[in-house]
Amino acid sequence: MARKRPLGTEEGRAYWTMVLPAFVIYMVVMAFPILLSIVLSVSNYNGGKMFGGEQWTVIGFQPYARLGIDPAFWMALRNNLFIVFISVFGQIPLGFILAYLISRRLVKFPDFWQTVIYIPNIISVVVVGILWQTIFSPYGPLSEIFNKLYQANFHSHLAAIFQSFGQFDIKNVPDSLAQKIVNLAGPTAASNFSNPVADLKDLMQSYDANQSGMLVNDLTNLLAPKWSMDFLNHRETAMLPVLFVILWMYTGLYLIMFLANLEKIDVQIIEAARIDGASEGQVMRHIILPSLSGVIVNLAILAISGSLNSFALIYAMTGGGPARITEVLSIYMYDKAFMNGAFDYPLANAVAMVMVVISFILIGITKAFEKKFGGKE
Amino acid sequence: MTEEKVYTSHLGQIGDFLIKFFSYVIMTVFALLTIYPLIWLMINSLKPTPEFQISKLSFPASPTFANYTGAWKIGDFDKLIGNSLIYTIGTTIGVIFLSVLAGFAFAKIKRKATKPLYASFIIGLTLTTQSLMIPLFLEANLLHIYNTRFAVLLIYIGSGLPMGLYLCTEFIKSVPDSLVESSRIDGAGYFRIFLSIILPMTVPVITVLAILNITATWNEFALINILVSKTELKSLPLGINKFSGTLSSDYGKQFAALTVGMLPMLVFYLIFRKQITKGVAAGAVKG
Repeated sequence: MARKRPLGTEEGRAYWTMVLPAFVIYMVVMAFPILLSIVLSVSNYNGGKMFGGEQWTVIGFQPYARLGIDPAFWMALRNNLFIVFISVFGQIPLGFILAYLISRRLVKFPDFWQTVIYIPNIISVVVVGILWQTIFSPYGPLSEIFNKLYQANFHSHLAAIFQSFGQFDIKNVPDSLAQKIVNLAGPTAASNFSNPVADLKDLMQSYDANQSGMLVNDLTNLLAPKWSMDFLNHRETAMLPVLFVILWMYTGLYLIMFLANLEKIDVQIIEAARIDGASEGQVMRHIILPSLSGVIVNLAILAISGSLNSFALIYAMTGGGPARITEVLSIYMYDKAFMNGAFDYPLANAVAMVMVVISFILIGITKAFEKKFGGKE
Repeated sequence: MTEEKVYTSHLGQIGDFLIKFFSYVIMTVFALLTIYPLIWLMINSLKPTPEFQISKLSFPASPTFANYTGAWKIGDFDKLIGNSLIYTIGTTIGVIFLSVLAGFAFAKIKRKATKPLYASFIIGLTLTTQSLMIPLFLEANLLHIYNTRFAVLLIYIGSGLPMGLYLCTEFIKSVPDSLVESSRIDGAGYFRIFLSIILPMTVPVITVLAILNITATWNEFALINILVSKTELKSLPLGINKFSGTLSSDYGKQFAALTVGMLPMLVFYLIFRKQITKGVAAGAVKG
C-alpha cells in the first residue's frame, strides 16, 4: 500500500476517474439486477412497461409459496443437486487422479494427455450439448453400436440352436425348435407374432432347405432385441446422460487445476519421505493432500457455483425434456419467464433468488468444512 | 529416472510395470473418450445425411463439403462469426482496460473507499450473471437497449469485471510501492505512471485475462440468447443452436454446423494451449 498522503485533489480525481467506469458498469450489470430481482420476486409484475404502464405492487412472499407447491420446481432442484453432486464428487476426484498420474510421471508425455483431456472445455457448450443429444438419440451412433452387438450375439445363439437340431424338415419345423427360438427372442417375438410358435413355423416354411444361412440372418434382423432408449424417458434415469456429459466436459478443467498445484509441491520432499520409508499412501496423506486442502476447497466452490448455474448445456442437449424431467433451476426459471407466453416474472425472479441463496449456503458449508478439517499443515 | 526408481523400488519390477501399465490404460481410456466423439463428429460432417442414416460409424464413401456450404447459408455464419469477433474483442479489451485501471487505483492509491468498493467486486466473484438473466432482460428493456450490440458488450464486460479486478488488484499490489512513489516525487501524474510503469508490468495478468475472456465470450450463450433476437446481432453459438431443433434430422448439416462452431476455438487452443492452461489455473482463485 502507498503511504498515506494529504488528500490532494489530483489524487482524488485520478482515483475516481480510474475506479468509477468499472464500478458503474458493475453496478448496472450486477447490483441493480439483484435489487430488481429481489423486488420483483415479491411483486405481481407480469410484463409490460415497468414504469408508467400497468400498475404493479409488492404483494409479499406469495411467489415463493407458489414455488414451494410446484412439483416441477422440486424436480428441477433435485436435478440441480445431482449436478452439484457429480461435480464435487465426480469431477474433482477424477481430475485429481489424472493429475496425480501425470505429476508423478507415471505416464510419459504429460503435455499430450493434459492437452487432449482439456479440449471439451474450450468448445462451446451449445456444440457439446447438440453433439451428445445426437449421440444419445435413438437415431444416433450409440443405438447403432448396441444394436450391432445385440444382433451379433443373437445371431450366434440362433446358429447354435440350429446346429443343435442338426438336420430337420424346414417345411415342418419341430415345435421344440420354434419354441427355443421364441424363448431366445423374448419380447421381440411377442411383438412380431400374435401366436409366436405357429407363426414362426409358418414363416420358416417359406424358406427352402438350402437357405438356412439366409434364414438365420433374416430371423436375426427380425427378432434380435433392439437397444432401447427408454431410460431417457424415466425420471429416475433421464439425468444420467446429462451427468455423463458434465463429467466428460469438465474433468479436464480440474485436471489442469490440480496439476498446476501439484507441480508446486517440492519433489525433493516427497523423495526424502520415500527414502525414509514412507509408503505412497503416507506420502499422499501427509504431504500431498494437506498441501492441496485450500485448492480443493476453492475447486469445490467453483464446481458448486458453476453447476448451480448450468444452463446452456442442458438447454442445448435436452431443453429440459422430455416432459420437463431433465429441467434444472435455470431452465425452469427461463421457461417461467419466456416460454408459452407465461411472463411469470415474480416466480422466475424468486427462482433466481433461490439459486443465489443456495449457492451462498453451499459455499458457506464448504468454507465451514475447510475451517474444521483443513489447514492442518 | 532416479525419481521413478525411488518411487516404486519396494514393489519390485513387476509392481513397477503394473502401476505404469494401469496408469497408461486409465489415461488412454480417458483421452480416447474425450477425443473420439469429436473426431467422429468431423468425419460424419463429410457424409451426406442419407449415408449417415445407414451407417453411422464408417468413413464417408466419398467425402464432400456440401454439408458445409448448406449449413453456412442456413446459419448465416459469415455474419455471425463477424458478430462473435466484435463481442469477443470488445469484451476482452473492455474488461482488461477497466480492470487494470481500477486495479491500479485500488492497489496503489490509498483511499477509504477502496475497502467497500473492492469487497463489492469480490462478492461478485461468487455470482454468475447467468442466474440474473431475467432481471438483465427486463433491465435491457427498461433502458431501451434490448437488441443492441451495446447491451451485449455492457453485460459481458460487467460479467468479466469481478475476476478481472481481483486478478489485477492482487497482481499490482505486488509491484513495489517505491516505483510508484519515486515517479510521484519526480512529478509524474497517476495516468502517466499507469501508462509507463503499471501497464507494461501487468502483461502477465493481461495475458491471463485475455485468455479467460476470449474463451468465455466466444462461447457464451445464455445471456446473448435473451439479449438479442435479430439475426444481424446474433453470435455464433446462437446460430449453432438453430441446428438443434427443427433442423436436427438433417444430420449432415448439423454436424457441419457443429464443426464450424468448434474449430475456431480448437485452433486457438492448439496455438495458445500453454498460456490457456496457465491462465485457467490462475483464474481458479474464486471464493
